[in-house]
Parts: sequence; C-alpha cells; structure tokens
Amino acid sequence: MSKSAVIKGTSYVLVHTPEFVIHNGTTQTTERLVNPDSTYLAALPNHIRSYEDAVAYPPNQVFLGSKKPEILSGIEMPWCNTKLEDAKRFGTYGELMPEDEFYGLVAICDVFDLVILETDFAAMVKEKLAGHPLIGEDLISRIRDGISRDNIETYVKEEHGEPLFHKGAMVGYVKRAHDIDETLSAHVLFENLVYKASSVLALLHLIKNTDINKGDIDYVIDCSEEACGDMNQRGGGNFAKAAAEIAGFVNATGSDTRSFCAGPAHAIVEAAALVKAGAYKNVVVFAGGTTAKLGMNGKDHVKKELPILEDVLGGFAVLIGQNDGINPEIDLSLIGRHTVGTGSSPQAVISALVTEPLDRSGLSITDIGKYAAEMQNPDVTKPAGAGDVPESNYKMIAALAVKQGVIERTAIPDFVAKHGMPGFAPTQGHIPSGVPYLGFAREDILEGRIDKAMIIGKGSLFLGRMTNLFDGVSFVVRKNRGDATGDGTSEAVSDTSVKKPVIGIAAEDSELGSDVVAEGIALAEKRGFIVKRIEGVDCHKKMDELLAGKGIDACLTMHYSFPIGVSTVGRVVTPGRGKEMFIATTTGTSSADRVEGLVKNAIFGIIAAKASGVKEPTVGIANIDGARQAEAALLRLRDGGYDIRFANSARRDGGVVMRGNDLLAASADVMVTDPLTGNLLMKLFSAFTTGGNYESTGFGYGPGIGENFDKLILILSRASGAPVIANGVEYAAQLVENDWKTIAKDEFAKAKEAGLASILGEIKERSKSSDKNTDTSTAETEAEVAMPPKEVVTAEIHGIEVMDIEDAAVSLWKKGVYAETGMGCTGPVVLVHPDKEEHARNLLAEGGYIHQ
Amino acid sequence: MDLENQKRVKEYSEQFGPENLVVILGAAEGEAAGLAAETVTAGDPTYAGPLAGVSLGLKVYHICEPEMKDEVDAAVYDEQVGMMEMVLDVDEIVKEMSAIREQYTKY
Repeated sequence: MSKSAVIKGTSYVLVHTPEFVIHNGTTQTTERLVNPDSTYLAALPNHIRSYEDAVAYPPNQVFLGSKKPEILSGIEMPWCNTKLEDAKRFGTYGELMPEDEFYGLVAICDVFDLVILETDFAAMVKEKLAGHPLIGEDLISRIRDGISRDNIETYVKEEHGEPLFHKGAMVGYVKRAHDIDETLSAHVLFENLVYKASSVLALLHLIKNTDINKGDIDYVIDCSEEACGDMNQRGGGNFAKAAAEIAGFVNATGSDTRSFCAGPAHAIVEAAALVKAGAYKNVVVFAGGTTAKLGMNGKDHVKKELPILEDVLGGFAVLIGQNDGINPEIDLSLIGRHTVGTGSSPQAVISALVTEPLDRSGLSITDIGKYAAEMQNPDVTKPAGAGDVPESNYKMIAALAVKQGVIERTAIPDFVAKHGMPGFAPTQGHIPSGVPYLGFAREDILEGRIDKAMIIGKGSLFLGRMTNLFDGVSFVVRKNRGDATGDGTSEAVSDTSVKKPVIGIAAEDSELGSDVVAEGIALAEKRGFIVKRIEGVDCHKKMDELLAGKGIDACLTMHYSFPIGVSTVGRVVTPGRGKEMFIATTTGTSSADRVEGLVKNAIFGIIAAKASGVKEPTVGIANIDGARQAEAALLRLRDGGYDIRFANSARRDGGVVMRGNDLLAASADVMVTDPLTGNLLMKLFSAFTTGGNYESTGFGYGPGIGENFDKLILILSRASGAPVIANGVEYAAQLVENDWKTIAKDEFAKAKEAGLASILGEIKERSKSSDKNTDTSTAETEAEVAMPPKEVVTAEIHGIEVMDIEDAAVSLWKKGVYAETGMGCTGPVVLVHPDKEEHARNLLAEGGYIHQ
Repeated sequence: MDLENQKRVKEYSEQFGPENLVVILGAAEGEAAGLAAETVTAGDPTYAGPLAGVSLGLKVYHICEPEMKDEVDAAVYDEQVGMMEMVLDVDEIVKEMSAIREQYTKY
C-alpha cells in the first residue's frame, strides 16, 4: 500500500476591510434595508478600527503565526484592549493586507473588466503594490488605468454598479454582468471577486512558505461557502481553477468542495486520498474570505462599547504532497465521520468525530496531543452571547473522556488546557473550522512537542434548508513514521515494523513508593513505549550490564554518580505558555570552573534539544553569576563558526541573558544555568502545582551529557510522580530514536572546530589568575601522584567544596587510597571502596576537606 | 431567539392555546437561555421578531433543569444530554430560568 500524504506547508492571511464592514456585511446591509435610521448604523463608523489596531490585535498575530495561541491565555479579555507592540504586517505564515492594496488585488483578479477604479486611486494602489514582496509586475500590470470620479457616480446610479469605498470616499465600482440575472449582479460579483482575491493572496504566501515550484502543483481544491455561476447553474463553481490561474499554477486542474464550515476538513481528506492514491502529486486546499460575515456580531460589539472586531477577511492554503519521510502525515485510517444516521445531539456528533475513529484504532482520547475544532475567536463571540466556542468543544471532548473513564471529572479543566488552545480565528465561517491550527500542528509535530493532532470540521447544513442534518468530519495529523511505515495502516502494525527503543527504569529510591513507579511505567506503556523495570539492591550494577550488553537502549534512575565533565539536561513544561524548555544543566558537574561549566552546559543543552527533535534550538543564559562571561565566550564560539542561535529575552530590553520572567515564558528553548540553580529550577517547575513533595510535570532531570560519555542515563528525582516517570521514558526514547550519540559527536566536533578548546583555556587561565592572590592551597596535580590500584568505588563522601573535589581525591591517592570524583544528588562526592570509607573520611578531615 | 423560531412558537400558541404549550430550550449558557425564555414569556427583548411586544407567558424550561430531566428516561437522557450536562454550567442556567419563570410565566 502506498504511503500517507503529508502536510508540506501552510499559509494564513488576513485583509483589513473596514469599508466592506459598513457596505457589504449582511448585518449592516439588512439593517439598512429594514431600519435605515437605526442608532446602530449611526454609531457604527465610530467603532471601526484602524489598520494599525487590527495588526496589533493579539488574535490576528496568532492567526498569522507570529505568536503561539497560548499567549492569548495570558492576556486579559477583551483582547482588543491589548495592542501588541512588536506586531507586524507580515507573520510566519502570511500577512494582514490593508484595504487599498487589496482593491488592487481585486482588480488583478478580475478577468472580465468588471472592476473599475478611480484614476488617482488606481495609480496609488499600483505604486503601493510595487513594494509587495509577492506581487510582481506581471500581476500589477493587470490593473487597468482608472476613470474619473464623476463617471463612477454616474455608472453606479444608472447601471446598478456596486460602489467601492476607501476612507469614506468612492474609489471605484463593480459592474453587473447581466441585466436581470441576480447571480451576476454587481453585489454578488463583488463578493465573489473579494473571495477570489483573498484566496489568491493565500496561494501566493503558500508558494513562498513551501518553496514549491508553481508548475509542480497539479490539483487545487477550494473549500469555502461561496457560490459562483449564473441563473442556469447558480453553483456552477470552480473558484479553485479561477484562483489558481491568477496565482500562476499553470499545470493545475481543480474543483470546489462544499459542506458549510466542514468544507475544509472534507477537502483535506480528499486531497490526502488523491495524493495517496497517486492521482495527483501536489494538491493545494485553500479558501478565501467572505464579505457577508464582516461585522456579523457588530450590533453586540457596538452595544458593549467594543470596536467592530469582525473587520478582517481570512484566508488559508495547505500544500498536501507525497510522503517525504519528514513532514507530518494525514492518517486516513483515523477519519471521523458524521453520517446521515449519526443524529444531531452534541454527544452523538462529538462521539462520531472524536471517539469512534480513535476506538477503531485502539487509541485513547488522551493519545491526541492537541485538538482543533471550531477555532472562533472568543473575543468576538462572547460579547455576542455565543460563548467561548473552542472551549466548549474542548469541554465536550473532555466530558466524553470522563464518560469513557479515561480521565476524572475533576480533570476536565486540565484536559482543556493541555489538549486545547484559545480560539484565534476570525469568524469567517469555513476559516475557523479546525484548519487554523494546521500550521502550528505541523510545527508542534516536527519539533516533537506532540505526536498527533486531530482537526475537526463541523457544518450547519440546515442553514441551506435542504436538510435538517448536521455535518462533520475529522482527521488526524501525526508525526511521520519514517521510510519503513507511513503506510496509513493501524498503530499496531507500525509498532512491529520499527524496532522501538527499550528503556530501563532502575528506580529503587523513590520517596513516593514502588506503586508510583509502577503507575509511571504503566502510563508510558500505554503511550506505546517499551519499558523494562530493573529491581533489587544491585539495580545499578544490572543497569550498567544491560546498557553495555544492549539489553536496554537507555535507563532512567534516581541517582547516578556521573564523572566530572558530565551533567544532565532537564526538560520542563513552563507555566507561562505551556512551552517546553531544556534546563542545562540540572545535576552533575561540567567543569570545576564556573564559566567553563556554563559554556559546556550550553552545548550539552543544544545536544539534548536537538536530539529531542528541536531542530534549531535557541539558547539563553539565566541571569546568574558568570552569565556575562559565558555570553562573551559563546559569542566568540559563534564567531568561530559554531551555529548557535541565541534567544532574545521577552523583556523590553531583550538580550541573551534571561530574567525570571523568561524562565516562566520559556523565551529560550535551552536555558543555561549552573547545575545547582538548574536543580532548584527543576524542582520548582516540576512540583509547583502539588505543593512540593510530588513532582507532577515535566520530563525529569534528563540525560547525562559530556564529551565521550556514551551511556544514555537519565536522572529522575526521588520525588518524581507517575506522569514525570512516563515523560522521562518518552524523553529517553526520543533521544534514542533521534540518534543522540551522533548528534552529540557532531556538536562537539563543530564546537571544537570553532575554537572551543582555546576559548575554554582562556577562561580557566583568567579565573586562575584572579584566584592566585587568595588561593594559598598547595594544589597537586594528578601527574605528581601515583595512582593506587583501581578498585570498585561505591561509598560516597559528601560535603566537599566543588572547587576542591579533585584535590581531595588526589590527597587520598597520596595516602594509597584509590578514589574517584563524581556528582551526587546534592553536590560533588568523592567515591571510595566501602571498606576504606572510614579511613578516607579521616584523611579528608585531616586535610580540611570535610568536617567530621 | 431567531425569527423563525419566534414565528413557530407564536403559531403553536395560537393553534394549541398558550396554557397547553411548554417550550424546552437547549441553549449553551445561562444568559442565552434567559434571553430565549424571556422571549417566549415577556416578549422579544430585542424587538426584532414576531414576539416583540407579545407576552405569551408560556411555561419554559431548559433541558438540563431537574424538572425536565425527571420527565425523560434516564438512559435516553444520558445518551442524548449526559455529555452536555457535564459541560454546561447547569446551576447558572437553573438560576436564570427560575428567575424568568417567577417573573413572567402565567401558566
């Protein structure tokens, strides 16, 4: 069977259209007919937002991909009271186009000489569009020279033209295409041309975002709620080809798919099936925006003294292509369908769309990382009495999980927070319908934050008066299963075709008891991981043997003495935005020199992040002692050619040095800190919701990383709860699957090439010279002392200053006691044979290294 | 309440007599339920539909109210409403509905 189709990229666009709100939105056109002198129409112009305010509106920035949906949770509603200072017209996925330029694009999309602009306005628009990065001269030259304003007024009056306004002035008109055919009236044609133009804008951005050659697109599907045709075939259709023509997809054919707001989900399933079947290689699913819905809830917004929030058109486009082994797959075995016989109660609808496909594949509701159903912006709907639509969808899914016994009823709010997100899409019917999350879903999956997302489209078919039925369809986007799979068959089959890593757990020291460890293992197994529990007093010895003999690929344990030069990179979920962050490092010692340690920790953090699937991790340095020196050293490393991406503090003055706020918000993917601070942070991030003794969130203290340290041992706290244990298993499995060893080797090699050794050498030299005046101890090097015969060292001696740890060990060697140094859970330790512990303690006390 | 539904309620009330009619709502939150209840009792508060200025004073309940729940077979109720009952703020809905009934219901 051929492989599943993948999502190669997305685009999202908005168009600010204040005049369309007033003249074309149906709430306003209806009011003008029924009640032309209404107070609403009189008040309306005072509630229209400026272009700048629309750009700075937080949900719009999220829609364009410049901000993550989670930021909205941290902004007090109404969100329109907050203007994002760093907001920009162009975002990750597209842009928010202003009205005047958009009129130019409408004229570009007109192939029947229907759009006539005023002379000066046409010239101004052409000039502005010449600066647009995606609209070339070939398109701009399609805008014809304008006519005088007097002529426009005459045509509008005498020939039933639809006037076009900008900033209150008439700047053009749309002709009707037939004297009596309602479907070709100027009003309908304008609506269709606006739809087409916003679609073209989405297509142009998709080309930019995916780098695909326009000629390689061979099929396009339009999935809006618009209709084009004439009185003999009112819904004749093919907006798809009409938009593809302007966008320059010369080799594409296409068609339209309709199902009210469920259209996009149907279209994506169709596209994935066409690609998987081999009928077409690259299929674009897209939709533009609708004038009719502008200002739909305007009356309520005006009544509540809010601006008209429905002042933008929305559009999106998705490229679905053949499996490349990288991009997330659309799994056609996990399609949810609302059938004719399903019924229309919310329970029946959600069961059909969510639980039925999951049950069929043996998955649980909680196996889906994120759900996206109706992503309407609640800032728009709440004042209109329609509530928070995405939130009620998430609550319904959570309620089904409760009914199935997957979660407790009290866990509904947690479920909503973890598996959902705030709504951020404009209320443009088909636009909010699940698809606004696809761009983020692709990123979240590629970067390893989630494995699977479910997109749900729902449609109110009864509005067309042909049936009382409801409609809905859902599909699952999942992490690419690589070359061996990706065949769209069930999870169970894919499990057997790829060897999954075996993760050991040697957790004999849990403060929370053996049951919690068992619960964590069960949770991990439920998620599909293979876990081997290692028990008994000598579990560490067994662990080492299993690691050496490849009986396990990695091991989790609650205590391990790593050699100096190795420390662990923790992974937490930060409370501010729910974003993951790597804390480098959390236990162990990278170096006895503080600054050298910080620099090494940065590299260790990058390794852990990359091996966890974060392709280009950003690095920030916690604002602690030595941060500035570490920054200087890392800058030198970068200048030497080491590809390090610095994070920028979320605080106004920015910079790579991270403040406490940045910790909460995860401004950096990798937060560099010394291990003791890191250890403290781990405990805070992991246990702040439970009052302390039970660590419930995050992935644990992470793998010990250091040059030439080739065992994969991850540390968990003794207070790790079941979820952290399960996440730790996931962390370990990801590192194995992503071949952490090669990644580590590459990173060390690249850092060396960039001059790491000399940079570190200079740092140590500097701190030595600054210590010289105060440090009068007679440090002896290993070379001067003969090493006693090596023996097994398991007894730990604590309480030695980290700076003195090597000297302490050497002092024991001098007395004939074999000793090693290492890092215990609470600080550095000297390790000796148990029989010699007492003797060693006495010697160290005599030397002033410990107090007895 | 949308204009179509207002028209239907008004017609049924004329056809069967207001004392013989119970309106059952399924609104998703208290305020919306209260507005719909007000429409079929005191009249359309937005003065937009057929019930503007028409005070029918009908009996009106939300499906999640205990009076309605008791009328329905428990298994059917669980299948059709059980999930939404968990999701909705039932206390808030009951509060709004009771307030409207006390004030405006004539039957």
